[in-house]
Amino acid sequence: MSAKRTTDTMVLDRRSFLGGAAAAVLMPVTLGFAAGRADAAAAVGAYIRIDASNTVTLITGQTEMGQGIGSGLAQIMAEELMLDWAQVRFEHAPVNPALYGLPGWGLQLTGGSTSTMMWYAPLRSASAIAAWRLRAAAALTFGGLVEQWTLVAGGNVKHASYGVKTFASVLGKVASTPVPGSAPFAGTKRIVGQRVRRIDLAAKVDGSAKFGMDVMLPGMVFASVVHCPALTGTVKSCPTRASGALAVVNLGNAVGVVASNTWNAMRIASTLQSKITWTLPANPALLDSGSLASAAQALQAAATPANLKVFETAGSPDGKTGTIDATYIAPFLAHACMEVMNATVSVTKTNGAVTLVELWLPTQGQSFVPGTVRSVPGLANLADAQIKVNSMLCGGGFGRKIEQDYVLQAVKLALTVGKPVKLTWSRPQDFKNDKYRPYASMRVRLGGDANGIGGLVYRNVSASISFQQGANPEDTGAVAGAVKLPYAIANRRIEFAPLPTAIPLGYWRSVGESYNTFAIESAIDELALALNQDPIDYRLRMLGADPRASRVLQTLKASPRYTGMAAAKRGAAFLKGFNSYVALALEIAPDNGSRIRVTKAHYVIDCGLVINPDAVEAQMQGGLAHGLYSALYNRVTFANGVPQVQNFSNYRVLTARDMPQVTVDIIEGDPTTTMPGGVGETGVPCVAPALANAYHRLSGTRVRELPFYPGATMSED
Amino acid sequence: MAQISFKLNGVAKTVTVDSPETPLLWVLRDQLGLTGTKYGCGIEVCGACTVLINGEPEKSCDASIGEVAGKSVMTIEALKTDPLGARLQAAWLEHQVPQCGFCQSGMLMAAFGRLKAGESRASTASSLSNICQCGTFQRMKEAILGLPGVA
Ligand code: FES
Ligand code: FES
Repeated sequence: MSAKRTTDTMVLDRRSFLGGAAAAVLMPVTLGFAAGRADAAAAVGAYIRIDASNTVTLITGQTEMGQGIGSGLAQIMAEELMLDWAQVRFEHAPVNPALYGLPGWGLQLTGGSTSTMMWYAPLRSASAIAAWRLRAAAALTFGGLVEQWTLVAGGNVKHASYGVKTFASVLGKVASTPVPGSAPFAGTKRIVGQRVRRIDLAAKVDGSAKFGMDVMLPGMVFASVVHCPALTGTVKSCPTRASGALAVVNLGNAVGVVASNTWNAMRIASTLQSKITWTLPANPALLDSGSLASAAQALQAAATPANLKVFETAGSPDGKTGTIDATYIAPFLAHACMEVMNATVSVTKTNGAVTLVELWLPTQGQSFVPGTVRSVPGLANLADAQIKVNSMLCGGGFGRKIEQDYVLQAVKLALTVGKPVKLTWSRPQDFKNDKYRPYASMRVRLGGDANGIGGLVYRNVSASISFQQGANPEDTGAVAGAVKLPYAIANRRIEFAPLPTAIPLGYWRSVGESYNTFAIESAIDELALALNQDPIDYRLRMLGADPRASRVLQTLKASPRYTGMAAAKRGAAFLKGFNSYVALALEIAPDNGSRIRVTKAHYVIDCGLVINPDAVEAQMQGGLAHGLYSALYNRVTFANGVPQVQNFSNYRVLTARDMPQVTVDIIEGDPTTTMPGGVGETGVPCVAPALANAYHRLSGTRVRELPFYPGATMSED
Repeated sequence: MAQISFKLNGVAKTVTVDSPETPLLWVLRDQLGLTGTKYGCGIEVCGACTVLINGEPEKSCDASIGEVAGKSVMTIEALKTDPLGARLQAAWLEHQVPQCGFCQSGMLMAAFGRLKAGESRASTASSLSNICQCGTFQRMKEAILGLPGVA
């Protein structure tokens, strides 16, 4: 499907942009304000809306999916407009990548922990300019000069003669104000850096928050789907009706069932499975985890595997790597968002021709939705204005909701039935038709002495997202977490060999770091132990050139949270990634005989400028949980293309019982020089290596293949 | 077609359903528009669909509308009408518990049902079996343990 190909190709570029994210935000960006009066007025209205009651709403292209981004960005706006937090709101923007896309990328998507990183400077400038224009509008409305009007906290402006006026009272003149290239910052730190309460949470404790799955439209019908049991299989033939169903629709990659309620649709869809014939995938070996593991092993053993790409090379590492030669394995994983894939679509026809497609979506990938709609036969010529996307709250995303598969199905269903349709996948369909986190085999050869690593040869063999899509031999996604390491390693070679597979792949929270950090931080621990070195001191000796990295590890080592953990049960790991620095120490204990549980977890994070410390802590707590259940319990295996996962019952995740106390030390960056780093993904990568390192202390056994307890079920305790 | 009468959030309700087998979850969501109660797994594992039936926390994905006839159902939308429920919600906000929020209705209803029935805060906090993929467990526990005026 060519439209899909195009969108995926755009998605994968985000990794190559990540390295440039810091540079992009350091440049003053004025968001098209220089484009002239008409554009500028629209731009003020596009990001910031002030209503008659003096409520100020940030309109953002970034999707709120739990990470608190709506509130965090609204804090940046509120700071420069000197608002009271109670008068601040946020809402999701319509699709308009030129206006709402990540500055510098022009892509309206949420991922890679880029939202705050990339929006901080432009949004701050835009807000300061808006503040200046409100002062100028006050001068036009009441008299005086812009310089005589000052901002007053609470959404007001003040003049010595005219007194205090609300923003709302000057709105009529905003469009008549000039647009400065820049404007002074309020710089009061009333709101940025404060633990303000998230705007979206009140609606999340009383059931009123609207997720994609909660959309209700007049005359709506309800749908569900059944896909081929084997991944990538397609419909050869299917019934055209079923008892109790309003419609049965061949969607190409699945059969859709439309019914009077979602339960009926799901139930009928699952009973249809036996009546559908499928065109099965041609090469099941490419869809079989056992075959793939053997293929990965062969690629590790080969001197020069096909399509080998060397990402970094320095000095002459061969011959200096004798101490450790270990291969680490990370499995395919599911996203398992709490909210399954769903989409609601309404198609309007005028004189038999489609004139509007309106969608209500939980989506992280707004940029790609218009292309998805236009890929449907008959809709290719719709104009942008004829495709209206309402971005709903996401009940988790973790990278899955960038994808367009569920959106495409819902558009086809709505077009076919001629009524608004809400498509909701069943949980088993969601697990079995994910875009899985790639499997990765990572061989690490490492040697050195007490002063540091003498040589590192690293080979990642993985089912690469970008390689599978064929547009790019490989961006840095597959080796992120193994390249640009903060440690001084004079002799090194970092290689990547793609593992051919047909299993659909997708970005998963913390992307390449989710597996490479496991291998690197485990191997360094192994080397330190082999050399009788303290693992933290050993890392510090290689971090002399990176003061922020050093400070994070030194802070961890000095923390009573760290020294209070029993050394014989403790493990640590470190990550420099997403423009942040994170150290994690865990303490573990035996649990239920053969298993372990984490009893304590302590993070030290330097994520640069902090917008909301409470949100940073929440993301570390969430990252710990996500990393922990994944490392302990989860993998998805495939038997000739059939995913061996069904539901949460055999894909064990965390419950309250298994959640340790997580503590967080935040190192505040200098607000005059540091920019915000990423937070949403940075809590995850250190969990697996810290766990493996702690487990080695406890048991003497080194776990190099994740998960610790494959096959764990939800009910066993 | 079947007609089922029950009490919903304190108000008498009669619904007409295709089948009395239809889970309460989907009658609430698709037919009555009470979308605060969520679908997460459909097999009584995740707890996202938790409501109170005659005061007991129950998974509404597994309770058929037929079984509910004559009983009293309370959903997240009515939690604030109970003083303990309102305090629980306030504690949730005080501790900024939710992230994505999708599991939170079920989490709150499960905690409320137990506390209301007299279970201790400590026991409730440590034994809720609800799944939260955002990992809000620590704050959930802190919110429950800090609840004033409860054993
Ligand atoms: S939906 Fe009922 S327990 Fe998961
Ligand atoms: S808050 Fe997102 S699943 Fe619990």
